[in-house]
Amino acid sequence: MIIEHAFLVGFSKSFGLFYLVALSVAAVIYAMRPSNKKRFDEAAQSILRDEAGPWR
Amino acid sequence: MSLFGFHYRLERKAIGLTIGIIAAASVGGFVEIAPLFTIHQTVEDAPGMRVYTPLELAGRNIYIREGCYACHSQMIRTLRDDVDRYGPYSLAVESKYDHPMLWGSKRTGPDLARIGEKYSDQWHVAHLNNPRDVVPVSVMPAYGWLLTTELRTDDLDLHLKAQRRVGVPYTDDMIANAAMDAYAQSNPDSPQADGVIKRYGKATTMRAFDGLPSKLTEMDALVAYLQVLGRLTDAAHKSIAQAEAGQ
Amino acid sequence: MIAQLTLIERQRAILISAAVALLGFLMMLAGRDDPMGAHGALIFVASILMIFRIGGSYYAPPPSDDRLRHYYDDPSKVGIVISMMWVIVGLGVGDWVAWQLVNPDLTFGTGWSSFGRLRPVHTTSVIFGFGGNALIATSFYVLQRTSRARLPDQVSPWFVLFGYNLFCLLAVTGYMMGITQSKEYAEPEWYTDIWLVVVWVTYFILYLRTLARRKEPHIYVSNWYYMAFILVVAILHIVNNLAVPVSLGHAKSYSAFSGVQDAMTQWWYGHNAVAFFLTAGFLGMMYYFLPMRAGRPIYSYRMSIISFWGITFFYMWAGSHHLHYTALPQWVQTLGMTFSLMLLIPSWASAGNVLLTLNGAWDKVRDDATLRFMMVAGVFYGLATFEGSFMAIRSVNSLSHYTDWTVGHVHVGALGWVAMITFGSIYACVPWLWKRERMYSPKLVEAHFWLALAGTVIYIFAMWNSGIIQGLMWRTYNDSGTLAYSFVDTLVAMHPYYIARAVGGLLFLIGGCLGAYNIWKTIAVPGVTEEHASDLPQPALAGALNAAAE
Repeated sequence: MIIEHAFLVGFSKSFGLFYLVALSVAAVIYAMRPSNKKRFDEAAQSILRDEAGPWR
Repeated sequence: MSLFGFHYRLERKAIGLTIGIIAAASVGGFVEIAPLFTIHQTVEDAPGMRVYTPLELAGRNIYIREGCYACHSQMIRTLRDDVDRYGPYSLAVESKYDHPMLWGSKRTGPDLARIGEKYSDQWHVAHLNNPRDVVPVSVMPAYGWLLTTELRTDDLDLHLKAQRRVGVPYTDDMIANAAMDAYAQSNPDSPQADGVIKRYGKATTMRAFDGLPSKLTEMDALVAYLQVLGRLTDAAHKSIAQAEAGQ
Repeated sequence: MIAQLTLIERQRAILISAAVALLGFLMMLAGRDDPMGAHGALIFVASILMIFRIGGSYYAPPPSDDRLRHYYDDPSKVGIVISMMWVIVGLGVGDWVAWQLVNPDLTFGTGWSSFGRLRPVHTTSVIFGFGGNALIATSFYVLQRTSRARLPDQVSPWFVLFGYNLFCLLAVTGYMMGITQSKEYAEPEWYTDIWLVVVWVTYFILYLRTLARRKEPHIYVSNWYYMAFILVVAILHIVNNLAVPVSLGHAKSYSAFSGVQDAMTQWWYGHNAVAFFLTAGFLGMMYYFLPMRAGRPIYSYRMSIISFWGITFFYMWAGSHHLHYTALPQWVQTLGMTFSLMLLIPSWASAGNVLLTLNGAWDKVRDDATLRFMMVAGVFYGLATFEGSFMAIRSVNSLSHYTDWTVGHVHVGALGWVAMITFGSIYACVPWLWKRERMYSPKLVEAHFWLALAGTVIYIFAMWNSGIIQGLMWRTYNDSGTLAYSFVDTLVAMHPYYIARAVGGLLFLIGGCLGAYNIWKTIAVPGVTEEHASDLPQPALAGALNAAAE
């Protein structure tokens, strides 16, 4: 067996934490970025203005 | 393709979102499951552990078919009351030949991980036939038809072959004699009985489980399976004895 | 319905049905000595019926191009009707097996009707039959409207819907014949699993194709959740069901995994079926129908995105909390517990979003039972996710695991969250789809609401009590240091709670039947505006009007 159990366990225990932090930061930046605000407000409002038909 | 065009496609076809979802979702399972495939490097081994006989495997399939796992676990936890009630806690190695595992998630009835040989064959047959004859307040369904349904044995060799393909060490000899071994295990007086001992070991339980040696029924198979639960290896008892000796 | 298909689409539909019929026929031949043969016959007959159905309208005049100016809603309509049929079957069987635990002799001494075989019929019918059909039907509805794009063709949505229901049918009939893999919530055997993969890939491609036609650059958050649901369920389904069949003529297969690997894979699947089937999909539903019915946008769109990534990431780690104190290595148990606790954050962000969206519109919640269904669903979602994180703590789990507390917890989520948000969304959606001003009887919606709420509360209190009592009895020692109660003693203590649970389930079932009747009448009794469908107010406005009218 080339892959050692201890190595895999160590990787599993540590890697997830970094991944968690990176992903959380990315998600928060995306959600909170001021330049995205308009797009999100527009999206939230847009479903309420259905034009009663597809554009194509 | 220009960078802009690439980004346009990524966003327009929602591919970016697809990749994002896969990237976020695949990590957790991977890092928890992958190391388990190297676990044999660290946990206790059970060198003398035997595989299920064809009859026991057929019984296990009946156990699955009837959904017994919905109400009975086969996993004794490392808790004092679990151990006091059901026996030494379950080790990973004990279910290494269980495709799939039957650890269960609910104990509407008691745990069965070590039920083997705790009760007599007659008790099991009576209990399966109508649980309330033996345990008046039981809520278990009655499985009376098992006694009258003949066990299908003609395809047992195929079952053993499929088991070997997923990693259970059945030999060519075991596969070739699967149907006969199933018959012989519940007919200890038949001439073929020696073959079962030869292939599966002296500790194999050879009995007419349903009390009728002339007929091989689904009851034979299910009781044979129940009677071997927790007895394929004595690794769990050994590890407890070692721990006690060490103290 | 078939008149809506163009000639070439009718031909394609017949061709696909014929191919499926051929598959069924081959299965019939290969599995003639096995229960699989019966499934082959079922597939064969179903596809032949489908061919006759399409063939009967084959020469109907082709649809006008006018159809392209409207969303393609026929699959959504049929999906909702099928979903209501499944909910009655699923709740009915569920309550039946609940009574079997009160009186175990209700099996008539036959195999197919025993608890072990009927229990997966219940779980599959409610989760996949009811929940799955509702998700498919509403996802088509929401996808088209939020993208302002029509489904790209008219055959693949039907293939997804009917193919999926064939899967459900094979699953539940299989259990009664004894065909099962024994993996909870993944019981169907290998050929049924392969079939679902085909259907599911078609579903995902259809989703991407429609999104590619959308008008606005941003994809509305509901579609994120629906996409996570489709995508991750595919991954989970494929990995957990890897198996080797005994032969091509045998229904039986053996899982590729064994023992501890199999346990971890199964509960990685099992817990994420809850996450991505029963949570992500229904959150997608909620993020569309709640704002529409309330006539106001979601409180915080940003929060919905953050909780999306939180749920997508955290859930995948949490499965191992099903295996506390077992032979699974302890570090995996600890990881599962940690992530289960962190899950509370994105979960409560979603639950909070529901309540904050309604903040300022409580008068509508008071008057409109449909909106109240959604509000209560949000509350139960918050409750279920709190309870779930709590039960994932090792020491709590040592008490709750293997007892009815787990069953109760599942039903907080299933009855309180999943079923309530679905009923709310369906009640909102049916008048919009069939161009009616409102449901046939708002009073029946009101009655359904209270029956569902009462049923859920009775059910979960019964299970909390029985679970905690049983867990405590199992671990009680007497003065001499031996166990105080036998297993049979705890059974006797469970009996009254089993009766209460079955009564609670019965109330919920009656509510579901009222709902089905109400929907049936709404469809069957033509609305006054049937001929002037295009004059109808837009859904958003209609929702607000309904709320005012009721």
